[in-house]
Amino acid sequence: MVEFKGVSQRFGQQWALHDVSFALNKGEFLFLTGHSGAGKTTLLRLLYGALRLDLGRATVAGFDLTKLKRSQIPELRRRVSVVFQDFKILPNLTAYDNVALALKVRGLPRSQSDRRVRGILRAMGLEDRAYIKSERLSGGEQQRVAIARSMVVNPKLILADEPTGNLDADLTDHLMDIFRQFYTYGTTVIMATHSREVLERVPEARILHLEQGRIVDTASPPTEIELYGGLP
Amino acid sequence: MIRLLFTIARGMSDMARHPLANLFTMLAVTMVAVLAGVFLMLLHNVNQELLRTRGQVEFQLYWKVDTEQQTVDQQWKRLSRIKGLKSIETFTPSQALVELGQTLTGPTDFSWIQGQNPLPASAFLAFGLIPGDEGTLWANGLLQELKALPGMDEVHYNPFQLDLAHGWITLVRNLLWPIIGVLGLVVGLVVGNTMRLSLLTRQDEIEILSLVGAKPWYIRGPLLAAGALQGMIGSGLALGILKLGQLRLAETLNFAPLYLKISYLPLEQWTALAGIVTLVAMLSSFVAVRK
Repeated sequence: MVEFKGVSQRFGQQWALHDVSFALNKGEFLFLTGHSGAGKTTLLRLLYGALRLDLGRATVAGFDLTKLKRSQIPELRRRVSVVFQDFKILPNLTAYDNVALALKVRGLPRSQSDRRVRGILRAMGLEDRAYIKSERLSGGEQQRVAIARSMVVNPKLILADEPTGNLDADLTDHLMDIFRQFYTYGTTVIMATHSREVLERVPEARILHLEQGRIVDTASPPTEIELYGGLP
Repeated sequence: MIRLLFTIARGMSDMARHPLANLFTMLAVTMVAVLAGVFLMLLHNVNQELLRTRGQVEFQLYWKVDTEQQTVDQQWKRLSRIKGLKSIETFTPSQALVELGQTLTGPTDFSWIQGQNPLPASAFLAFGLIPGDEGTLWANGLLQELKALPGMDEVHYNPFQLDLAHGWITLVRNLLWPIIGVLGLVVGLVVGNTMRLSLLTRQDEIEILSLVGAKPWYIRGPLLAAGALQGMIGSGLALGILKLGQLRLAETLNFAPLYLKISYLPLEQWTALAGIVTLVAMLSSFVAVRK
């Protein structure tokens, strides 16, 4: 699903990633850990085509990132969904419309998308909030809308950048259950996080710990991470 | 075609989703177009007036005093049919006397010379300018023809005036379009920046569409359509405001000694104004989201 070989990424004179290599199979769950500025977000941005690869080789969901053309980015993003800490949903659209947007841009008529959208909103517990404008939803509900939008297209890979960063402990638990559910159904997940609680929610997940753009080690289960002293 | 209509419909629905932002953008576009239109109209009217008074070749004709008025009348009819004639003013000896009286200050009672009027029949011919050497040849040829008319005493024609008219026309051609070009550029920059700034408020939306896998045309199409609509409506409103202004002010300066009648922009100028504003609004929407 994902393969990085000697990937390096530079911003000006600073290396954000340095000689990063790893592989991830279909249906695996991977946590990216590390302090702020360790390179987690840069790695995720490479994965969804927001950055052009500087050095090394990388393939994601069948796309060779070294040869990725600008015109191929929408195709890549149709296979790779992203969930952000700040949700990135449209506040003036309803929860339903935000979720339906991902299908609409793929040209799916409303008659076909309606069942899927309703189904995913039901799975997220947002059935009764579907027609409320997103700006009026709580943070947890907005994040569930964002996850629903990413899941409704049946992506091969879900990238999540600190998706629980703005949420309290209860909501974090709830959202991690949702991610775990999707992962158990066979969707590959890569999640960047600072939080030990989040790691503990998916004990079988692999962990990639980054420091100053380098992979300092990989581990599973999360308790082993403590050996490397990188987690809060 | 269906896809195009769908894109336009999406552009319109996007506009409806951000009514205030779009309204203010459209107002800004309209005001810029009105200002540009006012400047263009001023330029057009000044140009028309100057061309009317300076961009023509004039001949003053004086018949012999003893020429019969019937002969002169026949020649006036013939002269009024000459190709390229813009205006003809004719004066019988008695009309010329009245005109003379009006130009003099103080008491002008010429009744004492009735029957012994020393003034001849005369005519004033004005022709549109034929550019280049051809115009000089034509003027010289016409001069000879006029001199050969029966009963003709003198024909006054100033070749220097022809040169001046040529010079004026060249100046207008060399200056008018560059000025219009600069104006177009200014309009383009202001409208373009206004549109780009208005799209900054939609950066998040554009980013989200891109993140969920929307193809560039899916993102840009409605913005392009909305930009074109804003440009069209804005320039249409501006042209309407200008027309109303022109109708209201048309006769304001039409008094002695100015006699300036304010006319509306000619077809090519108002279509160019509307076209530039629409095109720039559309292109700037495109450029604003090209990344």
